[in-house]
Amino acid sequence: MIRPEEIKMSAEETGKWGMVMDQDICTGCQACVVACAMENNITFVGEEDSGYGRSMHWIRIERFWEGEYPEVKMTPNQPMLCQQCGSATCEPVCPAFATVHSQAEQLNLQVYNRCVGTRYCANNCPYQVRSFNWRDYERPEPLSNQFNPDVTVRRRGVMEKCTFCIQRIHKAQDKAKSEGREVVDGEFTTACAQACPASAITFGRVDDPESLVSQLAKKRGHGIKHLEELGTLPNVTYFKGG
Amino acid sequence: MIKRLFDWLRQPLGLIAVGITLLAVFSVAAYGISLTQQAPEQPVQFPHQTHVAFGIQCLYCHPGAAKGPSAGIPAQAKCWACHNQIAKTETSLLLAPLKQAVISGKPLEWVPVAQVPDFVQFNHRAHIAAGQNCENCHGDMSKQNVAENPQVFNMGFCLDCHKQVAGDDHEKLVKLVDCGTCHY
Amino acid sequence: MTDNFSRRDFLKLAGVGAATSAILTGCGPASRYVKREPYMEMPEYTYNGLSTYYATTCRECAAGCGLVVRTSQGRAIKTEGNANHPLNLGKTCARGQATLHGLYNPDRVTDPIQRKRGNASATAVDWDSATQTVADALKNNKPSEIAFLLGTTSDHLFDLVADLSAQTGINPPVRFGALSMFESRATLAKAAENLFGESGMPFFDLGGAQAVFSFGANFLETWLSPVSYTRGFAGLREALTKKRGTLVQFESRMSSTAGKADEWIPLVPGTEALVALAIGRLALELRGGPLPRAFSDIDPKSAASKSGIKLETLERYAEMFANSAGVLAIPGGAALGQTNGLAVAEAVLTLNAVADNFGKPGGVFFSPLAPNQAMYQRSASVKEMQDFTKKLADGKIKVLFVHGVNPVFELPAALEFKKALEGVEQVISFSTFPDETALESDYVFPDHHSLESWGYQRVATGSNQSALSGSQPVVSPFYNTRATADVLIAAAQLAGGKFAAALPFKDEVEFLQSKIAPLMSQSGGFFSAADLPTFMAYFQQYGGWWQTADSRTVPNTADIFNRSLKAPEAEFAGEGEFFFMPFVSPTLAEAGANKPWLQELPDPTTTVMWNTWVEINPETAHELGLEDDDVVKIISEAGELELPVYRYPAIRPDTIAIPFGQGHTAYGRYAEGRGANPTDLLGGHFNEAGDLAFAGMKVKIEKTGRKQPLSRLESLMGVYGVGLGEEH
Repeated sequence: MIRPEEIKMSAEETGKWGMVMDQDICTGCQACVVACAMENNITFVGEEDSGYGRSMHWIRIERFWEGEYPEVKMTPNQPMLCQQCGSATCEPVCPAFATVHSQAEQLNLQVYNRCVGTRYCANNCPYQVRSFNWRDYERPEPLSNQFNPDVTVRRRGVMEKCTFCIQRIHKAQDKAKSEGREVVDGEFTTACAQACPASAITFGRVDDPESLVSQLAKKRGHGIKHLEELGTLPNVTYFKGG
Repeated sequence: MIKRLFDWLRQPLGLIAVGITLLAVFSVAAYGISLTQQAPEQPVQFPHQTHVAFGIQCLYCHPGAAKGPSAGIPAQAKCWACHNQIAKTETSLLLAPLKQAVISGKPLEWVPVAQVPDFVQFNHRAHIAAGQNCENCHGDMSKQNVAENPQVFNMGFCLDCHKQVAGDDHEKLVKLVDCGTCHY
Repeated sequence: MTDNFSRRDFLKLAGVGAATSAILTGCGPASRYVKREPYMEMPEYTYNGLSTYYATTCRECAAGCGLVVRTSQGRAIKTEGNANHPLNLGKTCARGQATLHGLYNPDRVTDPIQRKRGNASATAVDWDSATQTVADALKNNKPSEIAFLLGTTSDHLFDLVADLSAQTGINPPVRFGALSMFESRATLAKAAENLFGESGMPFFDLGGAQAVFSFGANFLETWLSPVSYTRGFAGLREALTKKRGTLVQFESRMSSTAGKADEWIPLVPGTEALVALAIGRLALELRGGPLPRAFSDIDPKSAASKSGIKLETLERYAEMFANSAGVLAIPGGAALGQTNGLAVAEAVLTLNAVADNFGKPGGVFFSPLAPNQAMYQRSASVKEMQDFTKKLADGKIKVLFVHGVNPVFELPAALEFKKALEGVEQVISFSTFPDETALESDYVFPDHHSLESWGYQRVATGSNQSALSGSQPVVSPFYNTRATADVLIAAAQLAGGKFAAALPFKDEVEFLQSKIAPLMSQSGGFFSAADLPTFMAYFQQYGGWWQTADSRTVPNTADIFNRSLKAPEAEFAGEGEFFFMPFVSPTLAEAGANKPWLQELPDPTTTVMWNTWVEINPETAHELGLEDDDVVKIISEAGELELPVYRYPAIRPDTIAIPFGQGHTAYGRYAEGRGANPTDLLGGHFNEAGDLAFAGMKVKIEKTGRKQPLSRLESLMGVYGVGLGEEH
């Protein structure tokens, strides 16, 4: 049972890393989806399993239909990924403590070696952004040559989700530290934001008012955070524009 | 059928059988674990001791440790740069595989000794930069021939040190015991 | 096992067994016996565990985007955009990201092979005899009997073959790609030539525009240069110096470009020219003054009724053209792929003259020519390909070399390219992958994958700056492949005589240097060097050479209003009741089907993965008694195809659409036997510019009574309530 004062406490927490999504310019081209898959060693599952909804996309582009022909409209494309909630609903339900909150980076972590595959977290995620390895999906040789050595290759029975490219965060921090300085805003970005041809995705420090994400969020005003009313404190802001 | 099995297990003979089975399982497991702690067979029984005795620094052959995640195994060209000037290379049986490798152009296949599992992201650079010496984890190479694992690289080993290093610095402690520091 | 043995018991025993075996095997020494091979000699600037980055050029389409490829220990790990490159400014599309699945594809052609045509099995040959085969083919045939069919990448190989052809009299190389067919590139170029008296690739400055009217141009998907046009689109929407720009898209099916539009106008196919002319006339009337000749013949009222667009809507658009700055009209794609396509292109380009936007921000320019290019070259139109195919069928060509294109798959069924190959004595393919054309060849001498290759690609459009994009190998070749340029150079030396004289190079790199060397003396480049090795080093480091200044040119529009513009009726071939609208899959395009992650990408509009579908308006489907996933037979005058129905809410009720990209009969495990190929339905009708009238057909639909479930990302249950029963 969570006591009300605890909720208040977590609500005052600011996140560290965040994203701004500009839905008005997202074209739904899927470049972010492949970039993410290539960066994070995400497996493909094949036609049958993807038909069962088992495809492993860490980021997906949602679009909905409004109205009927000929007045039909496609709603602005909505890139949906882990919102790195400040008060995540996936975390308290994990019996193995595999889904934990990083105190250092303020991210929702998925610790693969702890995960026992209960899938409670995915069921409890209101954004439906967690994907489960239903099988050891085959990636025939020599496809494995492409694997990113900085990211664990997951196996069957393990839950996975967007990490905000934590390996890039660490790499940038390590580089900055080796040069005796702080990480500079824009020095690195996530794979999805890097690929996006429309620059619809911006990533950075939300706790730094000078960073590009904070500036964008301020300038555009009226951004929304999805399902904020659940008290999840998401760190991704969406702008519908138009 | 299961019920019959359990009935049988309750008899003395059954208990002994269970005991023997458990013992067998655990001894095999113990043997397996002990095997992991032995130095594997290498293509060249490389004497670290001898090289350290010549005053060669660790980073001379493993420069990656100071620059990035992986210390690395030296390229054969690096071995050969010294060894082709040493007369003993021609005659030594120990060095025959190296000579063979250089002539044939086929690299030696080393077996890594100090390994962490795939789900651990280890970065040498950060540890060297934090003032850790190689021997803190890898043992004193001036006393080893073929590299051995002085300890099990499990999470306890890592965390003990991380906590100790952090000391009273809360911010440092948060960073050093964060799951996301090593697992992603 | 008896009934007493319950599932729970079984799980208990299984658990104990699993734990035991985990203890016995998991911790055993076997798991740690990994072997590590060090480098024999560490390459310069390489450290263990640290990545090395190489600049090169993407060859997934002809646009020529710059890539920076991250490599680690000699393996390519990730492609990223080259931030310096003027075309893509550090960005990539999905196909550019997935190029690694081509490099490490499990079904590449690993060795040079010889085969009986159509036979999947083949015998490996060595490269010496392969080179000899090519040399013999060059030497032992009359020059007029030797032909090269090349893809739209890479330009350096095209230049090499063009040089060879110029000096030895063999047929000039023919270039083709399905993308340029569906883009109607030839039509656009022809219209520009007719209107401006100069051939070139128009450049549409989306980023500076205030309102964009796109007639069928799917510039956010595959059209011309999608990455740079997507950047332009972002500029249209949110440039801080101006209001948010609007996009109006005219097409019969809502593409994902139209999905981003503020207004999607599903006009009657074939009436695009009428609409463009009507808007132009109404705008000029609003402004007052005498009507120029170009717009004097059109009757807006009849145009409105023929196109199915309300007159008020046309008047509203006309007002935008008449009164605001930065209004842009773009012709492209299916609007030009009709029998009256050239008229559409001319009408839409002339509409820009009404907006008076030529050479202005948000207007129409000519794309700059690439640095080492004397004049604009376009790939062959399908009409030209038909003539070429006829030559093959008639036995006028004895040897055909094919590189970088898969005509058996990409050309319309009506051209019967596969059959035409029977008239060719020797077909030599240089394909990296076992595609349909490689299967119909006598020899396959595999080229390296683009990430293993040298080369350059001219940036034909999309960049303000004149740019030549450079390629270099980012990894050493994974298989026993050889650069086609090297094979041709070596074969020419073997053949001797004029062939050896035409290609007097040591290897591909020397040829490349000879083509790049003239850039050293060109001014305005963003780097220069006094000697070739230094220049080459910079060329490789930066991923090409480009000029720093905006070198777009302004089309000559002095005479544009004085031409008489006609809007002939579009003709539709075939007898069915449905307009047929093939479109290029935005994720797969022409050659993406063998890359598993591209297969698993949901289509941006339908979210379907791994398959082909036919889009039918839900109302129409209801009338025909069709549900989602019902397999139907589509019959055109050229062929028939069976594929499952997708009830698509944003398509005209009298139109059906099929994506192009799947339906391979070869091309590796991920592509083969998957989906259907709409080119099997395409007939041989052309517009005045020789482009295929691929959208100028009518087809019939027949039920088959079968079902084939499509894999979709979108949940049928969650979104449409399918399967929820009565209570949803």
